Amino acid sequence: MASTPAVAVTGLSKYFPQLELRHLLRGRRPPGVWALRQVSFELWPGENLCILGPNGSGKTTLIKLIATLLAPTQGRIRVQGLDTLAAPLAVKRHLGFITCNEESFYGRLTGWQNLAFFAKLHNLNPKSAVPPVARCLKLEPYLDRRFFSFSTGIKRRFDIARGLLHQPDILMLDEPTTNLDPLATQEVRQLLAQLRDQGKTIIMVTHRLEEVAKMAGRLAIMKEGCLQEVQLEAGQSLEDLYRQVVLGETHAAA
Amino acid sequence: MLLRKVSAFFIRDFLEELSYPLTFFWRTGSIFFRLVAFYFLGQLIGEAASTPLSPYGGGYFPFVMLGLALASFQDVALTSISRNINYGMYSGTLEAMLVTPTSLSTIVFSSVLYQFFSALLESFLYIGFSVWVFKISLGQANLPATAVLLVLALLAHLPLGIMSAGFLLVFKRGDPITLMLGHFSVLLGGVYFPTQVFPEWLRQVSLFIPFTHALEGLRQAVLNGWGLTQLGTQILILGAFAVVLLPLSLATFAWAVRQAKRLGTLSQY
Repeated sequence: MASTPAVAVTGLSKYFPQLELRHLLRGRRPPGVWALRQVSFELWPGENLCILGPNGSGKTTLIKLIATLLAPTQGRIRVQGLDTLAAPLAVKRHLGFITCNEESFYGRLTGWQNLAFFAKLHNLNPKSAVPPVARCLKLEPYLDRRFFSFSTGIKRRFDIARGLLHQPDILMLDEPTTNLDPLATQEVRQLLAQLRDQGKTIIMVTHRLEEVAKMAGRLAIMKEGCLQEVQLEAGQSLEDLYRQVVLGETHAAA
Repeated sequence: MLLRKVSAFFIRDFLEELSYPLTFFWRTGSIFFRLVAFYFLGQLIGEAASTPLSPYGGGYFPFVMLGLALASFQDVALTSISRNINYGMYSGTLEAMLVTPTSLSTIVFSSVLYQFFSALLESFLYIGFSVWVFKISLGQANLPATAVLLVLALLAHLPLGIMSAGFLLVFKRGDPITLMLGHFSVLLGGVYFPTQVFPEWLRQVSLFIPFTHALEGLRQAVLNGWGLTQLGTQILILGAFAVVLLPLSLATFAWAVRQAKRLGTLSQY
């Protein structure tokens, strides 16, 4: 096993103050919410972690913190040994954050032009970076068409392609199958399985229990900003485990 | 490395503009028709305004044409950064760019390059139509002094745009002060009439706006052929605005980015 974890999160907390003028004028500390509370975990190269949890439990906040889009209130995050606060640009070279927002492209540009733009932001030559990813995701027939003309499923594949352009060691996905029809969902799941088999470290946030079963990795459930790593016991269903952690229900009670 | 990123933004914006082939023709047409309106207004005013316009050669049309050309430049400097950030937050492209190893300042400054190029092109269209269609003579223009003034005008106005963008990152709405300043600049800076026609107190107010000095300098360089020495006052004032405001705006913007990451507002709109 490698000597450095791919991702190491230690004592991570995130507080979102609600900035309102009346609090500033009265010199009061603004109220807010604790989105994360003392989250710690280590993920080793090649491992994958699925994070489940109800809406507002802090899942997206956690991966945005790892992706350096947010600053922690307390605690630290290291990606391949690099501190996200001290070396954010170096950290991003290791991370492929798949935003799962299929509208986060330029609709008037073609598929190729979109991927070429993001390849250049990774300091890559689009002519060498785009074709292998497009081939892997079966996007070649769409490269010359304008982005707005694509279905949600194709757009999601472009989203994944964008996250893979720089061949990152670590992939982070935020609800990758949301809004997809069953066939497109199946395609995305197959892709994720392929990436897992290639040895990528994957952190996936999802609401879909069947997705977790397909990924067959480590499992964590978030509730009110706290992360609890869990394991299925023999004979226990994922749904029962989820209800047990989130609602505090036991199998018998359910 | 930086050049590749900067060129990526320029090419992206150029391709987007190219995807709307009629835009260029609409813009060109709108500039032309605006000039037609001011040309006939100039004919109507004729000699009546020759006294207040005498420091600028006496003609209303060349006077207002330069005002319009610089106003479009100022508009880009004041509003383009916050407009781009707003679009990026709304569409999710800002977040997608921020997860690449590209700093927010590179994203912000590279995003406005094409718009400046486009505004420069628009200024050339104003001047080109005026010379070739409306037959005004600009042979006396001092080109090096004009170039220096344009750069200084940009450096004096850009900080206001940067501060507006910082405001937007934290408070989610464009800074009303900068938007108002844009309108006041056009009114008080002397786009449509010389500031000498204002009451004395209003003329004093107009001196606090960088646009007034940029426009005065530009008109003197283009219409009277003034050189850098004669434009010393305008260059000094615009330089002072740039020296004071540029570091202040960069510090404000850096603070706004830190706040946005703390508050979680970087990708909200």
